Amino acid sequence: MRGSEHWIHMEFFIQQLINGITLGGVYALIALGYTMVYGIIQLINFAHGEFFAAGGYMGVILISWLASQGLHPYACLALALALSMGYCALLAMAVERLAYKPLREASRLAVLLSALGMSIFLQNGLMLTQGVYDKGYPTEITSGGFEWGLVSVSYMQIFIVGLTATLLVGLNILVFKTRIGRAMRATSQDKVMSALVGINSNRIISITFAIGAGLAAAAGIMVGLYYGSVNYSMGFVPGIKAFAAAVLGGIGNITGALIGGLIIGMVEIFAAGYISGEYKDVFAFIILIGVLYFRPSGIMGENIDDTRV
Amino acid sequence: MKRLLALIAALAVMTLVLTGCGEEEKAGKVLRIGTMSPLTGPYAADGNDIRQGAEIAVEVMKEQGGVEGYTDIQLFSQDTACDPKQAVAAANKLINEKVTAVVGAYCSSSTIPSSETLAEENIVMLTPASTSPQVTERGLPYMFRTCGRDDHQAPAAVKFMKDVADVKTLFIVDDKTTYSQGLADGVSIAAKAAGIEVLEHDHVNQGDKDYSAVLTKVKAANPDMFYISLQNSATGALMVIQARRMGINATFMGQDAVYHPNLIEIGKNAAEGMFCTFGAIDKDAPAFKNFLSKYKAIANNEPGAYSAYSFDSTMAYMLAVKAAGSTDPAKVRAELMKLDFVGASKNVVYDEKGDSGSNYTVYQIKDGKFVPYWNSLTGDKY
Amino acid sequence: MANLILDDICVRFGGLQALTDVAFSVGEGEVVGLIGPNGAGKTTVFNVITGVYKASSGTASYDGNVITGLRPYQVLSMGIARTFQNIRLFQNMTALENCMVAQHSRSKSGVVGAILRSPGQMREEARIQEKSQKALEFMGLGDVTDEVASNLPYGHQRRLEIARALASEPQTILLDEPAAGLNPSESMDLMNSIARITELGINVLMVEHDMKVVMGVCSRIVVLDHGVMIAEGVPENIRKNPAVIEAYLGQ
Repeated sequence: MRGSEHWIHMEFFIQQLINGITLGGVYALIALGYTMVYGIIQLINFAHGEFFAAGGYMGVILISWLASQGLHPYACLALALALSMGYCALLAMAVERLAYKPLREASRLAVLLSALGMSIFLQNGLMLTQGVYDKGYPTEITSGGFEWGLVSVSYMQIFIVGLTATLLVGLNILVFKTRIGRAMRATSQDKVMSALVGINSNRIISITFAIGAGLAAAAGIMVGLYYGSVNYSMGFVPGIKAFAAAVLGGIGNITGALIGGLIIGMVEIFAAGYISGEYKDVFAFIILIGVLYFRPSGIMGENIDDTRV
Repeated sequence: MKRLLALIAALAVMTLVLTGCGEEEKAGKVLRIGTMSPLTGPYAADGNDIRQGAEIAVEVMKEQGGVEGYTDIQLFSQDTACDPKQAVAAANKLINEKVTAVVGAYCSSSTIPSSETLAEENIVMLTPASTSPQVTERGLPYMFRTCGRDDHQAPAAVKFMKDVADVKTLFIVDDKTTYSQGLADGVSIAAKAAGIEVLEHDHVNQGDKDYSAVLTKVKAANPDMFYISLQNSATGALMVIQARRMGINATFMGQDAVYHPNLIEIGKNAAEGMFCTFGAIDKDAPAFKNFLSKYKAIANNEPGAYSAYSFDSTMAYMLAVKAAGSTDPAKVRAELMKLDFVGASKNVVYDEKGDSGSNYTVYQIKDGKFVPYWNSLTGDKY
Repeated sequence: MANLILDDICVRFGGLQALTDVAFSVGEGEVVGLIGPNGAGKTTVFNVITGVYKASSGTASYDGNVITGLRPYQVLSMGIARTFQNIRLFQNMTALENCMVAQHSRSKSGVVGAILRSPGQMREEARIQEKSQKALEFMGLGDVTDEVASNLPYGHQRRLEIARALASEPQTILLDEPAAGLNPSESMDLMNSIARITELGINVLMVEHDMKVVMGVCSRIVVLDHGVMIAEGVPENIRKNPAVIEAYLGQ
């Protein structure tokens, strides 16, 4: 009897661990956009959460439409993912061009306010065009999974973790092994100098926004598929959490965003699992404050950064 | 300097006089009614239903010839975002619009503070959706409630668990609003009194999408029934989807805030078999059918959970004004107390407190529809 | 034929006249020295040429094309590279990456090709890497390619700046005090490097305080004082020019 109880505790722990990795992966994907944009123009892009929401909406619209065209569900998913990421990338480039680029020489407060305004604008735009009601994702593609006793792993969770890992590897290659990535790193370190070695910093900034928003769109679709629906205000809370994750990991640092996302996800899940659901945010932010108290630049911040973008 | 001051003073007085004239001219002609509900934020869906319900009522009244003595009936809609501060601001805006009655709000946590503001101006408030007992327990003379009360809903739900569903163990989750937690606490107390073991009463946060941690606990606890008291039907849908995916086998039960077409639309198969408490609305009654056809024609969508209550609240006020022949609050209150009309939701009769009685029925989701299952008043299955 | 031509360049910062009617040229195969006391406007000349500052009046042209008004990256793609007085390397990148980044305008693969690692992109990367390696070896840095820039000794960082400028395959290179902070033997190495750079067919415009270096490598010298050109000529003449002596001794 004792043994079996021990097993239940063990299974409970493993299940919560899996839950934490899934949630952390989503946060990490959103946090990357914050961190990349901050790294390159030192702007906290408050509108970033809206790219996540827009991606989620575009995903459900495309999946439904493609499915009605008779495509295989997995093909729908893959195509919708690619198109939504592309759509949000373009949206982010437009937002950057309209709301941030004209303020390149202005004070940081002005840009920050512009970002806040953009966030409100985009959120209300989504509300007016898509309505206030939640939009449900088709659940057929997402059903099924494995089960061992108390532990259950859905295919969706595997998909989320797998896609997150793939996107992270892709991003790493892009940033560290390609000319665009080199230009991004150069621009983040020294904008004047990078212009003098021939980099069009405006283009690189635009690309950075696009990549961040593309990742957020992917996260939006995964959230829609995994949790079942999207709504126009869905960007706000995960946006704040992902921002906290980016700060925790050391804003401006890609690896930091991943670590920060996983930590916030894990802390939330374990606080909810072992203490109470109502305290999970409290614990997440206690960890954030604690880390920032001892390491103001975040876990992977500044002093050890060669991964800054 | 002195001359400038004099000029400003003169202009100010003139503005007052001019607007004063304007108002006097208008007040005799237009019946001004406000609505307050969350039009943005996570509860915008229900908030929209409430606004539309009121709009349809005004349209119907106009079709029937309007209210005698008034050339027009105008509706002024304000957004509360289910935020107490914004709700008070919304109430003030409506006061400035010179409304004589307000239909709203949705969240009890918005209705309670804003009703205090409206009470200072003796404006009639009729809530179509706030079920917290507190709403009508504060002795406000012009506060009315067309929906039911949580201190009736909780016992009804527990009675169903005990007598019909034969529940021995219960797991409760709420999302910490005045309404959702208040109701969940009520269920918890009633269940313990009825001998049902409450394994745990946990909470989630508003705006969450990920419930995996709490649901893992539910799965480990393995209760007979999982009681879901959330402020919103869409989040309720997310919770049942995730719960079923995790393999939780308990019977699900929700309350009036998750009772909404959205729950089925988003939850799909996961919502099948779930129970919800909601006021009994006879969907075959002519009054409801009439309301439904009007609603579909004008709003161009299906009514939500509280559309009918909002329709009835607005209608009740207009009928009372009609009978009183004025918008004088004391006279309107007297007429409201005398009122007895067959609305879309029920037979509307207000008692001394302003309540209109609760008639909670347990509905079950079957083949994608809410089907009446058990009547708490009679204790009989349908 | 003169490659880089400055024609009556004036620069004003508010009320301050930084440059007044500066006009000179850098021709094929030349090493031109730009000297003058502190604050004479030498670095301002570099900033105008490379598009960091805008000239208030006057034009600079390169190979017959006007370059005043172009953005820095556009100037670079015309074939003009520069180094800085205070070293401005990408401190967190390796020596090799510093050189590779300088070839940004000479390569073109986009985001999609980069992520998919298309064959074209791989070939381009390999080509960029090879050229960067060559530039590093040319400046004697062949054995520190993978060292992070901030970890390199000072003299190496100076040379890396020049290697990075060379990696962008310029026709003209602007060196801003390349000998600053170098010891005598390092200065000798630098002079050799500059001589070899001209052998590659690259024209040099150099700001330098170290007169031994200036007199040793320059074929022509331009002297600025308070933003005004006070002399231009071959080193021997400049050395004897009374106005130049006055400007240097008078302060």
